[in-house]
Amino acid sequence: MAHSVRILVVDDEQHVRSSLAAWFREDGYDVTIAGSGREALQSLARDGADILLVDIKMPGMDGLELQRKARELAPDATVIIMTAYASVETAVEALKDGAYDYVVKPFDPEAVSRLVRKAAERYTLLRENRALRERLESAAPVLITAGTGAMGQVLELVEQVAPTDTSVLITGESGTGKEQLARLIHARSNRRFGAFAVVNCGALAEGVLESELFGHERGAFTGAVARHRGKIELANEGTLFLDEIGDIPLKVQVDLLRVLQERVVTRVGGNAPIKVDFRLVTATHRDLEAEVTAERFRDDFYFRINVFRIQLPPLRERPEDVPLLAQHFLAHYAHQMNRRIDGFTEEALGALCAYPWPGNVRELQNAIERAVVVCRGTRIEAGHFPFAAGPREEDLTLERVEENHVRRMLAASGFNVTRAAKLLGIDRVTLYNKMKKFGITKP
Amino acid sequence: MKVRLLVLGESPPGLAESVARGLPWPFTEGRVEPGGALAERCYDRHRAQVDASRLVAALATPPPGWTALGVTGLDLFMPPLAYVFGVSELAGRRGVVSWARLRPEVEESLPSPHLLQRLTVEAVHELGHSVGLLHCVVPECAMHRSLFAEAVDLKLPEYCPACIDTLRASLGA
Repeated sequence: MAHSVRILVVDDEQHVRSSLAAWFREDGYDVTIAGSGREALQSLARDGADILLVDIKMPGMDGLELQRKARELAPDATVIIMTAYASVETAVEALKDGAYDYVVKPFDPEAVSRLVRKAAERYTLLRENRALRERLESAAPVLITAGTGAMGQVLELVEQVAPTDTSVLITGESGTGKEQLARLIHARSNRRFGAFAVVNCGALAEGVLESELFGHERGAFTGAVARHRGKIELANEGTLFLDEIGDIPLKVQVDLLRVLQERVVTRVGGNAPIKVDFRLVTATHRDLEAEVTAERFRDDFYFRINVFRIQLPPLRERPEDVPLLAQHFLAHYAHQMNRRIDGFTEEALGALCAYPWPGNVRELQNAIERAVVVCRGTRIEAGHFPFAAGPREEDLTLERVEENHVRRMLAASGFNVTRAAKLLGIDRVTLYNKMKKFGITKP
Repeated sequence: MKVRLLVLGESPPGLAESVARGLPWPFTEGRVEPGGALAERCYDRHRAQVDASRLVAALATPPPGWTALGVTGLDLFMPPLAYVFGVSELAGRRGVVSWARLRPEVEESLPSPHLLQRLTVEAVHELGHSVGLLHCVVPECAMHRSLFAEAVDLKLPEYCPACIDTLRASLGA
């Protein structure tokens, strides 16, 4: 039975205390007793309790007062009031004040046993709930970044906007980690225990997108064999993330605009409005201003979603993140594929830092996954990367080649400027000037 | 462990002896004796019930190797509980069990086999407490808690393997 649940019995009548203590001990509960409110508070402060069985009428501090004071010491404890027929009204007052339930003396053993069992189950659920929340918080998504330069600003913006309900528009090239950033905003928000509902608007045809967003009633269209709740409904009390918002058709923009204005959603084929309370985060790789000018995107909808904008820089503009991300993905895939790979050779790391990553973080992730597959040793080598056969430097300007080479040497030397300058065959001042020119900062 | 069954108040002839014969290990048949007027002394006239805690406390402490169990047809209560089938001192080798609320709805002549079965199960239950056993989650085990008479019918007058293990450990058997 519930071995770890602690019960505190508070009654001024000694035989009531001892009888109940014996009764619950037989069930395996850990029981302590107190003869007065004052004694109960001392016991609570010393040993704590999960369930309090409190007699409502006691000399000195009565059950009501004890209940109020006990809440300060043990806010999660469940209070059950014991009362005589004559004081049922007071027991009702205790219920209004937060007591879980009350029992009338003399008790039916079945009733009191059931009540305490329910309270113990409630306590166990509360404890499990707390443990799960803690696990959830510890498992919150993290953004792998050195946190310097443009990404440092992004992190600052996330910290500012996350706790609010403000709509966020994330822009950035494909593969820069826009969904990961949206998840981070959700995880840092007050809605983090609500759902995080994702709709990839670019991947769905108009009819399917409507159904995915708003849901549909049974029989709303051919094939709608059952009622379906849309992602907007599912995001209630949570966050709705609409990826590739720039790809949604104008008609859906109108419908979404109405949902955002009125905060109600109506399922396709239905007519009952359903209240919804969600925070909107959208993302796109498109230039929405240009889309508005071209009249492919409604300006009123654009203004509604573009309240707080976060621009995610492409990976080539944050080379200091490349080694961190590479190490992160290496650890992930090595673990997943059960491979013992410790790290990268200097040459491999240099190649990673020199490559411009047009596909951004997603491309880097794929490159590391592939390298883990083909690697036969304990370190990833440059040859394991698909692009290493020859970055098309012949397509680059001389200045870009120079920048890439400077970046590669800095990464290879662990951003030791003296050593990098030696590798480049130039002095430190010249290297500092080149770093300034190319906007390279130490991570 | 020998059992001293004390008949408290009026009882059909042979009832306590039948209970004693149905006790499982580690209890062996001891003595069945009249318990005198102990129950009457703990009688509450207003409630027309016997205070079970007082009754157990009034039982003489048995000698080592023995446990004492009062058997009565009087209705027991234990403030603030309106009624109990029985009460024991946990590991105190003293307890009491009542058949007042164990009677089948359709009563045959006393003692009916049905009542005898229920009383034996609850006697085994209280004896278990008296040697330190707690309630058990196994539905058929005598140490499973029953809150109404019909629930007693689901149990057997014996302990489950886990309770037997606990008994062996505590009795050093």
